[in-house]
Amino acid sequence: MAEITLEDLSLRDYGLTPRVSDLKDVYFKAIPEVCVERPRLLTRYYLDHGLFEKDRVSVLDKARAYRYILENRAHVVAHTRFCNDRMKREKFKDTSLFAGSTTSKFKGVPLYPEFLALQLWQELWTLTRRDSNPYFITDKEVEELNYIIFPHWMDRNIQELTRARCYRENFEKYGLEKQAPEMKVFEKLRYFITSKPKCISHTAPDFSRAVGEGLRGIIDDAESRGRDARDERQREFYAAVVEAMEGIIAYSRNLAGDAKKLAHRERDPARKKEFEAIAAIHQRVPEHPAETFREALTTVWICWTAIHLENPNVGLSLGRLDQVLYPAYRRDMDEGKLTIEEAVELLCCLWLKIGDHVPAVPAEGEKLFAGTGSNQAITIGGVDGRGRDAVNDLTYVMLRATELMMLRDPNLNARYYPGVNDEDYLKRICEANINTGATPALHNDKVVINTLVGKGETLEHARDYAVIGCVEPESNGRGYGHSAAILMNLTAILELALYDGKDRYSDRKTSISEETGDPTTFGSFEEFQRAFQAQMSWFIKQATALNNIFGRTHQDFQPTPILSSFFEGPMSKGQDLIMGGAVYNSSGVTVIGLADVADSLSAIQRVVFEEKAASFQELLDALGRNFEGYEALQKRLANPEKTPKYGNEDPAADANAAWLIEFLDGELGRIDNYRGGKYRLGFWTMTNHAGFGMITKATPNGRKDYENFASGITPVSGVTPSLTPALNSVAGLPARCIASGMALNLKYTPEAGEGMLDNFVATVSGYFDDLGGEREGGMEIQFNVTNRAMFEDAVARPEEYPELLVRVSGYTAYFKDLNPQMQKEIIDRTEYLLSTRRAVPYKPFPLPRKDG
Amino acid sequence: MVATSKRNPLNLVPVFFTDPVGQFVGRLVSRRLKRELVGEVTEAFLVLLLRAMALMFYLSKGYRKNIEGFKGCFVLRTFDGFVYTSIIFEDGEMKVVEEERDDWDTRITFADAAALRGFMFSADRDILNAIFVGKVESEGNNNHMYKFGFLAQDLARRLGVLEAISP
Repeated sequence: MAEITLEDLSLRDYGLTPRVSDLKDVYFKAIPEVCVERPRLLTRYYLDHGLFEKDRVSVLDKARAYRYILENRAHVVAHTRFCNDRMKREKFKDTSLFAGSTTSKFKGVPLYPEFLALQLWQELWTLTRRDSNPYFITDKEVEELNYIIFPHWMDRNIQELTRARCYRENFEKYGLEKQAPEMKVFEKLRYFITSKPKCISHTAPDFSRAVGEGLRGIIDDAESRGRDARDERQREFYAAVVEAMEGIIAYSRNLAGDAKKLAHRERDPARKKEFEAIAAIHQRVPEHPAETFREALTTVWICWTAIHLENPNVGLSLGRLDQVLYPAYRRDMDEGKLTIEEAVELLCCLWLKIGDHVPAVPAEGEKLFAGTGSNQAITIGGVDGRGRDAVNDLTYVMLRATELMMLRDPNLNARYYPGVNDEDYLKRICEANINTGATPALHNDKVVINTLVGKGETLEHARDYAVIGCVEPESNGRGYGHSAAILMNLTAILELALYDGKDRYSDRKTSISEETGDPTTFGSFEEFQRAFQAQMSWFIKQATALNNIFGRTHQDFQPTPILSSFFEGPMSKGQDLIMGGAVYNSSGVTVIGLADVADSLSAIQRVVFEEKAASFQELLDALGRNFEGYEALQKRLANPEKTPKYGNEDPAADANAAWLIEFLDGELGRIDNYRGGKYRLGFWTMTNHAGFGMITKATPNGRKDYENFASGITPVSGVTPSLTPALNSVAGLPARCIASGMALNLKYTPEAGEGMLDNFVATVSGYFDDLGGEREGGMEIQFNVTNRAMFEDAVARPEEYPELLVRVSGYTAYFKDLNPQMQKEIIDRTEYLLSTRRAVPYKPFPLPRKDG
Repeated sequence: MVATSKRNPLNLVPVFFTDPVGQFVGRLVSRRLKRELVGEVTEAFLVLLLRAMALMFYLSKGYRKNIEGFKGCFVLRTFDGFVYTSIIFEDGEMKVVEEERDDWDTRITFADAAALRGFMFSADRDILNAIFVGKVESEGNNNHMYKFGFLAQDLARRLGVLEAISP
């Protein structure tokens, strides 16, 4: 337990230094540039070593390929140009305290042809001028991708290798069908999405060992274990770790060499000194143990860039950095080598570096995921492995850096253990949310730890959890959870129960899933529940089966020696992460549409079966006509005073939400994944509740065609007029079932005076409270603290709000980058006035359009 | 009403073809394909598109480079079974046959020409919606589809109409 030595926890005397201010200015001006360096080097290595022809790419093959990339990639100590909004490259002075970058660009779009980079193929000529989040690319780069790089990967990316595997494995079963049924349902995109074709991400490595022992320590360990290996597979894995770590060391040394040259050429004495310092640091780390705070940060940063060369950054998260870096920070502070101002500046520079790339999202993907960053979570606070208060001075320094930078990435997540962590710490987190309007998210340690223990993790490991991607908890550096393995659209599955397994949207009324009966013939609500259960079970089976097939393709073609080197488990087992090397090997399924489906069930239960105010046929007719001619029924279904709604402490409505959660967790918990772990349930929806909402027709809860769904585990907007019952409903849910995390999104009106902060703290404390064991208590909560007028103005004049940060459902995003549907969802969220704990009058926002 | 404004980018097309061969091809395929690409789409869209592609492959080295060493078979067909077209790329050539080949890499089934155009071009591209409402179904290797999409875009670029269809 660390002693807090800061006099002022807010650190309000520390602001942006001129260096950081200038860099931040350029950062927000910069348009992302497609970087072809990685695919070029990887393709060349594959061609030179015959890897395109192999039936299996081993972990050692991969490690050698990554070493080749690390040794041959550009080693940029300081960028000289960025791409401005006129799509012109503009000069600037990069004075960052950190060298190296994820791509060769200042703000880059890395490409991974072994995953889904080829999705961009058809829009390469139009990327620079697409409406939503354009990328800069030169004609020469387009031609290189089109003629030289992409053709080699047409049959060799994860998606197509898996399709071929399905075809091969299912040939006898399905005759001449080219598609396995699971793949067919997946590619309809409406029901579930598996993220395996896109990434192996959504996990959090632990950099403690890299910082404390240096990569040379990891190499020595791997070599020693390799000598004692049981079999060839283990030997190969340890050899791969050595290759990968040597590659990272080589990259850092190359940076050191370039920094030396720059220092030699530099005439400005101050800048010369900075280059010399960078050269000295990179000569030492990450090869050797970090001796200073800056060296420790550099170790994390360089290892982080290497991890991104291996896997697309989709929710790759940095873990408990305030714990990992604290010893170096404390040592420097005690020895007078570091000031708080310097520590804040270093972290601000690192935060900018962490955000130096954006994911490659095709135009169509922007409709579902517009505005997404890489969702790189950093976790602070909470308790240590022995249950002691882990909040330290560095926790507060990181909070201050986050407050000053207000960046989308990294996504800061604060852990809080009621009764163990100090209330002043909670107050400071709430204050940061008011100041930034959106960050950090808050996690209730007591609930999260109990939930992880319930899923088989040891108490010590569960206490040492980190937040991954959006909100997903997992033992830091021990659990490879791939928490976003599957995104499941629960509303689409409800539709299949309503329409007997048939596609509601196609004129051909094709069968999608099992026939579970015509609901107009059902005599009871329980009969409908059973039909819905059967549909949910069918989809869980399809989605998990396909995820497992994709997983086996990963095992054959995408081992991850770099990531594996920073986990506990692979080194002792001699086994890559994707082979099941981690201590914990779960997969995550996050569900979209919980509140809308729970409210739909309540509507069917109350209106159709209990009160018989409408027949099932009338309900279906009304849904089919988007309630035209059924306005009275729609009003009744949408009215929380007439139809039970989750989020009002209505026992019937909340029971339906709890029933769904327990059923889904039970079903998923029975299924093994391809690494020997189990599936876990989550409720965080990113922007998918808007994306899926805009393709979904009317639902029984009174929601009209193509309106947004509620986000995460949040009740439906506009139906929960009081804050306290809304929080109590969520806190009363079976959090023990939600091991892959939840996002409760709340929106508060900013209010003047200290009263707001006090009320803020009180509501969080109340929500987290387990009421002496009467309930589990709230697991997670996140906020938007921005008034509606500002959001509306930001829709009209996005150029005036480049830094307006919002909490989507899980990650943070810049409001201007979101698609119109998602902007509407944020504006329409129930907004509470903390002083009264009542919702401000709800008025749906007209769907904004970027084209006016 | 027929657009006659001098500001209409289509009026400038013959002047600003990005590829000299494209300029020639553009004249050959004339206004009809351009109308199909940027204006009202008719059932002739697919035929015109494939003819323009074939002509461009024949005449333009740059465009032909797209299919050097590429082997693939696309089947395009309508849900009603009225249209069946197989496009075979092999030995640096494109062949089109009016039958459904079994050895396809990618098969795209579409409701009508508008759905197909929306699936392939940016101006009214709405791939997700087309899939969601069952106007288009694709099967097989997605990367072949992306490549075919690039071929279509590259054709439009060489014809000088890319900006008009992807403003």
